[in-house]
This record gives sequence, structure tokens and C-alpha cells, in this order.
Amino acid sequence: MKKTSKLTLKRLLLANPWGLALPVLVGTIASLSGIALLGVSGWFITGAGLATAIGANLVFNYLTPGAIVRGLSIFRTAGRYGEQVSSHNHLLGLLKTLRLWVWDQRVAKDAANLYEQTRGDLLQRLVSDLDQVMRWPLVVFLPWIYAFFSYFAVGIFAYFLSPDLMLPMAIAALLHIIVVPYVCGQFSSHQVHIGQILGVHRRSRFVSLFSALITLTIRGHWKDYAKRLGQLDERQRLTEIRIQNTVSTGRFFVYMVTILLIAISMYLMSDMDPSTGRLVLLEGIQGTWVVGFVLCLLALNELMLPLVQSFVAQGQSQVGLRRLNQLHHVSGAHSDTLFHSDTTMQAGVTTMTFEHWRGYHASSGMGNTPLDLSIKSGDTLWIRGSSGSGKSTLLASIAGDCLSTGRAMINGDACEPYDNALYQKQLSYLPQHPYIFQQSIAANLRMGCPEANEAELWSVLEAVSLADWVESLPGKLETLLSSQGRNLSGGQRKRLALARLLLRKAPVLLLDEPFDGLDKATIEVLCQSLQNDYKPEILVLVSHIESRIGDSARVVML
Amino acid sequence: MLKNKEAKRSAKPRRAKTPEASFLGALYQQQSFKYRLAQGFGVLFVVSLVLQAWAFANVFSDMALHQSFSLSLLFIGLFALLLRALANFARERICTSASRDIRYGLRSKLVSHLTELGPARLRIEEDAALSTRVYEQVDALDDFFSRYKPQVFMVLLIPCVILLSVVSISWIAFFVFMLTAPLVIVFMIFVGYKAAQANRRQFSVLAMLSNQFMDLSQGLAELKRLGRTDEARDRLSYSAESYQKTTMGVLVLAFLSTATLELFASLSIAMIALYLGLGLLESLPWQEGSSPVNLTQAMFLLLLAPEFYLPLRQLGNDYHAKQKAEAAATDLLEILNTGQSDKAEPVSSLSVTISDINKEAFLSLRKVSWLEAGRHRLAPISADVLKGQRVWLSGESGVGKSSLLHLLLGFEESYQGDFYIKGRPFSEIHLSEWRTQLAWLPQTPEWVSGSIKRNLLLGIEPPSDEVLREALQKSQCDEFIEALPNGLETSLTELGSGLSGGQMQRLSIARALLSEADVWLLDEPCSGLDTETAEAVLSTLDKVSQGKTLLIVSHDTHPIMWADKHWAMTKEGLYEKDL
Repeated sequence: MKKTSKLTLKRLLLANPWGLALPVLVGTIASLSGIALLGVSGWFITGAGLATAIGANLVFNYLTPGAIVRGLSIFRTAGRYGEQVSSHNHLLGLLKTLRLWVWDQRVAKDAANLYEQTRGDLLQRLVSDLDQVMRWPLVVFLPWIYAFFSYFAVGIFAYFLSPDLMLPMAIAALLHIIVVPYVCGQFSSHQVHIGQILGVHRRSRFVSLFSALITLTIRGHWKDYAKRLGQLDERQRLTEIRIQNTVSTGRFFVYMVTILLIAISMYLMSDMDPSTGRLVLLEGIQGTWVVGFVLCLLALNELMLPLVQSFVAQGQSQVGLRRLNQLHHVSGAHSDTLFHSDTTMQAGVTTMTFEHWRGYHASSGMGNTPLDLSIKSGDTLWIRGSSGSGKSTLLASIAGDCLSTGRAMINGDACEPYDNALYQKQLSYLPQHPYIFQQSIAANLRMGCPEANEAELWSVLEAVSLADWVESLPGKLETLLSSQGRNLSGGQRKRLALARLLLRKAPVLLLDEPFDGLDKATIEVLCQSLQNDYKPEILVLVSHIESRIGDSARVVML
Repeated sequence: MLKNKEAKRSAKPRRAKTPEASFLGALYQQQSFKYRLAQGFGVLFVVSLVLQAWAFANVFSDMALHQSFSLSLLFIGLFALLLRALANFARERICTSASRDIRYGLRSKLVSHLTELGPARLRIEEDAALSTRVYEQVDALDDFFSRYKPQVFMVLLIPCVILLSVVSISWIAFFVFMLTAPLVIVFMIFVGYKAAQANRRQFSVLAMLSNQFMDLSQGLAELKRLGRTDEARDRLSYSAESYQKTTMGVLVLAFLSTATLELFASLSIAMIALYLGLGLLESLPWQEGSSPVNLTQAMFLLLLAPEFYLPLRQLGNDYHAKQKAEAAATDLLEILNTGQSDKAEPVSSLSVTISDINKEAFLSLRKVSWLEAGRHRLAPISADVLKGQRVWLSGESGVGKSSLLHLLLGFEESYQGDFYIKGRPFSEIHLSEWRTQLAWLPQTPEWVSGSIKRNLLLGIEPPSDEVLREALQKSQCDEFIEALPNGLETSLTELGSGLSGGQMQRLSIARALLSEADVWLLDEPCSGLDTETAEAVLSTLDKVSQGKTLLIVSHDTHPIMWADKHWAMTKEGLYEKDL
């Protein structure tokens, strides 16, 4: 699967065609054996009965059909087993492909749009969407293929029995394999879609209401809101009823088609004898074969029943696909125009100039008032300002993490910092709430520099005054950090992220409130490191706390 | 059938039931009428099954022996097949409707229970996770109630009826069925257990994998800044591959046991077929020259044999539905059990004589405490607050600062001791009247999705523009609201619309001002803010809250210097400190 392609069900099938061919083959053999087993044993028993009746029981060859029956039952069991194993193997392979596809889509998103879909429950949904889509070949495609081949095989048998049977067989196949599942699928897909939307809506209303529960209660408004939540639930229930009724009705239709098929086949193969009121089989049609045929049709019915439900699953997969494709990134043109600063930045960053520069948030449009900034190698800059003056936004825009207006020049060349990987390679940016991964401390640090040896890790921990704390942990560097670093305090989390950045040794270091929540001694250690061992060429600091670095820095007031 | 049930009922108390099982059992009983109706259709299903086998057996043997058959028998056979389809259709509809009634009823019960719990619900889990329980976990019961439970009945019914209809025809077939059925059941339990184990292991690994994917996705911005997205991709790819390998190892075994069961069932069918075939050829070693069954009977047995084993196999497939339901029940019971034990008895120990109460005080607490599971959630405290006094509550986490506020909000009824509002016992005060006097400012401001304006005016009479402007000015919201492109109409979503924590807190202050509440309760309003913003918010609070009776919980890191009183709370009780 190509990185940039849109996700479709067809693509899902072609992702690993050979991996899919195996379950198709084995599963088809198993299904055909299952049908043949019933047909042959019916024929065998009646044949045996007939042989005795005409006195030929002693010469009746019961060994060959017996062997065939045994062989078929072994084929059926082994085939079913092989199908389960190989199809699950294929499914797990798909899981990998799909995960990586989602990952690529998300990587391709630019920074400001990245967090459109990053909230925990949205991501959780993403995971469940993936599982939904992943199941598609297993629950929809394969049963359909088996049904198709089985009808084909029974059709051939019917042709040899009596060519007249071909027309009803073809019509029944059309109804069983295509019409009934398609109609059910079409109808339920719509309902599944509505249900999915309702579900999302219902959940967000639940969270929104419950997060304001106390205010709503003390203002006496809870009942109205709770009622509306109940109404959503009621609508959800209606869609559920419709889907379930569709499935039940679909199954009933499958039965009806089978019953009609049997009735018509019998009618076509026999004539009415008016004297006895019995139906007599046409000339040249063996009764024992007819028995086998009818038993085959009954077995076929069992194979058709799951199809109805699988097409509801089809609806679910399609909804999942649609949502996943919303992630699909249409690669914009902007990325190509940026790279001419490629050569200029190879030697590092010596000057950074920003003219009439303003960073702002895409969602609210809030940011700093436009300003001019000029920074050169060796500079330390301290950006100050009151709360809400846009300090952090300005720093993020310099880091290329949020949208901006104005002109930026790096080493004298025009450059667009936003979402520019080459530019970002040159700098390390510590945001206000850095992310700590659910990995060991060492792995978290090595994201800054994969080659760092243990001594380097310890020394950088020393530099941010975390070494003693890590030393006190039972697992030391290999201690696993919990989700989003929840077992760390805010200050520890920030310093760990800073240590990771320091390991990168990028020429430009941008720090957003690195001292918040730290005591004086720790701030002193940080300043010491930033001015000596880990001194960057350019340091830009946003902080409301006085520090030694701040004293010697150029101050920009917002 | 009735006798059978009674026997079961008497046997029940002997078996120790898990709370989950009895919870699910009670839910099942709610819809016992529908389930009984479904069982009726189940009986119809089995009857038509036997009828169909009998009619087809006759048609088939006639067809083989005489090349002709009776139209009416064919008609009966097809009619029985139709009856089967109808019975199935009805059963499905009834069972799904029973399951729906159970689930939607349970869900509304859960929501109203959570509402009653109020802030105590957060002791169970945060709201997003609770919503998963209320929606996904309740729906996880569906398969159990719509398929597994009715199927259990069919598993008992179908083999019994088939055995009954076989016994008069062939003793040998009867014994083959009788002997193999327990073996199949034993196998099934074994296989079900094995498969469940494998399933659990697979799920935990899958959960780990999802977790890793979530973790890396959430930190994607950080990875991009660090330029490590390719490494992360490799990690994802590697762990997905190793997951595939280990899971396949487990599945190969799990499926093998299912296959063994399947083989066992087919072998039994083959045994019966062989016996019938040889019997028809009069070649049975112990009965040469005569046939134990005629062709019609043989066909009848052959048609019934697969049906005998089918429900057992289906139950095996649905077995995981039971486990899924029990796991969900654990989570749901946790919600329903929270707060129930607390409501035991609001001990109104009138140990305090009325003369003790400070009539002047707006709020008097007399030995108010809160015991939960033998542990003091709140140590006994006695204190008075005068009207217009502003009190700073501090203390370590877990000493009951928030619990005290929740008590004042009227969400906790299980306190001990007495407390009085303006000299009247709290229990005598009309709760909704009391609540209209309150303003609540928690750590994370409470918002419903909608415009800023709608949130500010939540539940109050729309004030004049003048009043609104004044409130915004006082809370210093006017500046940043004017900067927003849509001003007051800017919608607040769960994502917060890019407003900072400090700005959101200021909006809460504006809302409190607009509500004209006299009593403000604040639970760590500054804990999520950086020092600078926190100081600014606190100084605004100082200005706007003068004249209000106010209780503010705040850590020592954010001291409330403008408060009139400082209560330091510890595990032993409450001490008034100097400011």
C-alpha cells in the first residue's frame, strides 16, 4: 500500500493478495467439502437402501463412498482449521498495514492541524475504527467468496442432474449472494452511519453535561439537559431496532429463497401422476441423486445465512473507512517551495531575523502583537510580558509550531519556519506542556540522540538536576514511565523533556517557562548547564521568573 | 419443564454466585416474559425441525426406492422448513428486543445514579471513562442477552427432543447420541476455557499495542520536533510484526482445539452413517441378513444427527459473549455500588444542644465528619463562618477539603454531626433553594458546549447588557473576549477554543458574578495555572468577591492572603491559623 493513497476496501484486499489467496483456497475447499459431505452421504444411504431393496446389497460397493465420506469430513475439518489460521494471519498483517497507514497520514499533517484529532477519545475511536475495517475481509469478503464458489459447484451438479435446473439455480444464486445481502447492506449501512454519528454525539454530550454537572444542578437545569441526553439514547435505540430487524428479515428471506428453490427444482424434475396423486421423477433422473441434490441445497442455505449479517459488518467497515479517510492528507504544495534554504542552513544558524512577525493560533486567531526581532549567534533573549500577551505563541511560531504572519530570514535567506522539517532540525523547542512517552527514561532521553551512551545520559540528567531522583528509582534509567508521565511532577516532566532536548545539541534552543514550579537551587543548576556544558548558540527564553540567565540576556517586552 | 425449573431454583443457593452472575441474572429476570415467549418459539423451532426431518426422510426414501414421492409429504417438509424460519425470526426479534429493553433501562438507571452521585462519581473514574462504561460497556451485554442466554435453553431443548424422537427408532443411534453428548460438552468446556485463555492473552497484547500506538500518536508533535517520526514508524511496524507472530502461535493452538471438537462431532455423525449404511445393506457383523432400520428411518436419523451437535457448537462460539458480559458487569456494578453503602443512615446525633449554635453565624459546623468504610474521609470539625467572611481552606490532599465543599453543595448526605445554615439545620433546608445561592468554581471550570454567552447565562434570567458588561469588566474578561473574532458568540467546545486556563477561570468568575450568588465555593481554582497567571486570577477574585461568603480551597503554594480566616485541615481536624 502506498503511503499517500486513500483507503478503500479494494485496496485492503490487494494489500497482500497472496496472504488472502490461501484462506480463500482453503476455505473454499472446506465449504465445498461440507456441502459434498451431506450430499454424498445422503446419496450413499439411499443408494444402500435401494441396493437392498433390489437385492443387490451384497455387490454394493460401500467401500468407495465410505472412503469419500470419511475423506470429505477430514477435508472439512482440516480446511476449516486452515482457513481460520490463515485468515487470522492475514488479518494481523492487515493490522500492521493499516496502523502504519494511519501513522503516515498523521505524520503528514502539519503542526497546527495535528491536534484537531488528538484528544484521547478521538484516538481511541481511531483504534476501534481500525479494528472495524481490519475485520472486513474476514467477516465480509471471505464468506461471500465461499458462498459464491459453493453455488457454482452445486450449479454444476445441478446441470448434470437436469439442465432445466440452471435457471432457478441462477436466480436463487443472484438473490442469495447479491440481492438480499445488498439490500440489507444498503439499508443497514445508512443506519449504521446514523448510529455512529449519534453515538459520537451522545458521548460528547454526556461528557459535556457531566463535566458541568454541579453548575447545572445548582442552577436547577439538570433535568432538561438529562432529558435531551435520554432523547439521543432513544434515537440510538431506534437505529438499533432497524438494523436488527433488517438482519432478521434478511435471514428469513434467505430461508424463503431456499424453500422456493427446492419446490421449483422438485417441480421441474418430476411429473404428476394423476392416478396415484404422486409426483414421479422424470425419465433419466436418479432418485438417489435427487436426494443428494436436495441435501446440498439445505447445506447451501446454512452458508447463505451469515451473508446477511456480514453485510451489516460491511456497513460498519465503510463508516470506519470514511472516518479514517478523513485523516487522509492531501499533500499540499507548500512543502516544495521551502527547501531552497537547504544549503544555507547546513552550516548552522548564525542569524535569525523576523520582521513584522506575529504568531497566532489557528482556532482562535489569538497571538502576539506584530514585532521585529533580530537574533544572532551567541545571543540570549528573554521574552517577557504579562499573562495573555502572547509570549508562548510567539515562541511557538519561531519554533515553526504554529501559524504566523510576517517575514522570517535565516542566515539572510527568506525562510518559512512553519512545519519546515529542515529548519526545525536546527532548533530544539521546549513547549509549555512537553510530551513524555510511555517508555523507559533512557528511551525517552534517546529520542533526542539515539547514539547517546549511558554516561552521556547521566551527565545530561545531572545538568537538569534529575540525576539524584533517577538514582533513587529502583529501575534507574530503565524505569518505565506511565502514560503521559503521570507519575512525574510537572517540574520533573519538563526537566526530563529539557534533558532530551539538550542531548540533541541543536544550535538554537527555545524554552517556554522552563523554571515554572522549580526551587531556586534547581533553577541555578539549570542556568549553570545552559551557560556552560550545554550552551546553545542561540537561546530564546520565555519566563516570568527571574534567573541568572535572564540577568545577562537581552530582554524583549511584549 | 416446570419441574425442571423448580429443581434448579432449589439447587441455586448451594452454588455460590459471583455478584456479576447475580447482577446479570437479575437483569435477565426483568424480561422473563419475553424470554419465556422466546422459549415458546424455541419449542416450535424444534418441533418443526423434527417434522421436517420426518417428512424429508419419507420423501427421500420414496424417491430412491420408487422414483416417485408424495406431494403432500414434500409440502409438509417445506412447510416445516418455513415454520423453522419463522420461529427463528420471531425468536431473534424477541430476544433482541429483550436485550434492548434490559440495556436501555440499565443505561438510564446508570445515568441517573451518576447524577445523584454528583462529584463523588469522580471517585470511580473521570467522565470520559465513565461514558465508555455507560455506553460501550452496557452494549457489551448485548450478545449475552440476545444470543447466549436464549441459546442455553436451546442447547438443553434440542438434544433432548432429538433423543426422544430417536429412541423409538433405533436404540443404537440413541446410545451413540447419549454417549457422545457428554463427551462433546466436556470437550466444549475444555475448549471454551482454552479459547478464553487464549482470547484474554490476545486481548492484553492487543491492548498493549493500541496503547503504544496511542502514546506515539499523542506525542507526535514532539516526535516531529525531534525528527524521530521514522524511528517511531519502525517501532510500530516491529511491534505489529512480533504481535502477529506471538498471536499466531496462540491461535494455532486455540483453533486446533476447536477443530478437534468439530472432528469429534463429525466422527459421531460418520459412526451413525456407517451403522445406518451397513445396516441397510444387511451387513452388520452381529445382524447379517437383516436390517435394523428401514430406509425412511435411516434418512430420519441421518438428517437429525448434525442438528444434534449444532447447538452445542454454537454455544461454544457464543461462550465469549458470557465472559465479555461478566467483565462489563464488573465495571457497571462498581458504578451502581458506589454511594449505596454511604447512604446507610445520616446520623443526626443531636448531641449538640441548640444553645451551642452561634445564632449570628451564617454557617455553623458542629462535629461534622464523614466516615467511609471505617475511614475518616473528613475528620470531625466544628467551626463557624459569619456572613461575608472569606475563608481559606488548606491542607494535604485527602484530608477532606473537597468533601467539605461537596457536603455544602448538598451532594453528600451521609455525614455525621450537624450543620446549620443561619441557625437552621441543613437537613431542614430546601435543597434547591439553598443551591440557588451558591456559585461553584472548581479546578477545571465547568462548561457545556455552546457559546460563551450561553455558558455565562446558564440557568439565570438574561441580565441587561449593562450588567453583563460590568461583570465581564470586573472579571477582566472584556479584553480577551473583544479580541475573539466572534466575541461572546465564540463557541466553547470540549477543546476550549484556544482560551488559556486563566481565561477560562476568569469566565467562571464572570458567571459567578452574574448569578448573584452570595456563597462562593472554590475548589483549587488555581492549581492548573502557572504562578503568574494564578496570582493574577487570585487578585481579581479578591476584588470581586468582597462582601460574599466564600470558602476557597487552595494549597500553600497559592496562599490566599486576602482571606479573613485560614483553616488548616489535617487528618485530626481543623485548626484556625493566623494569616
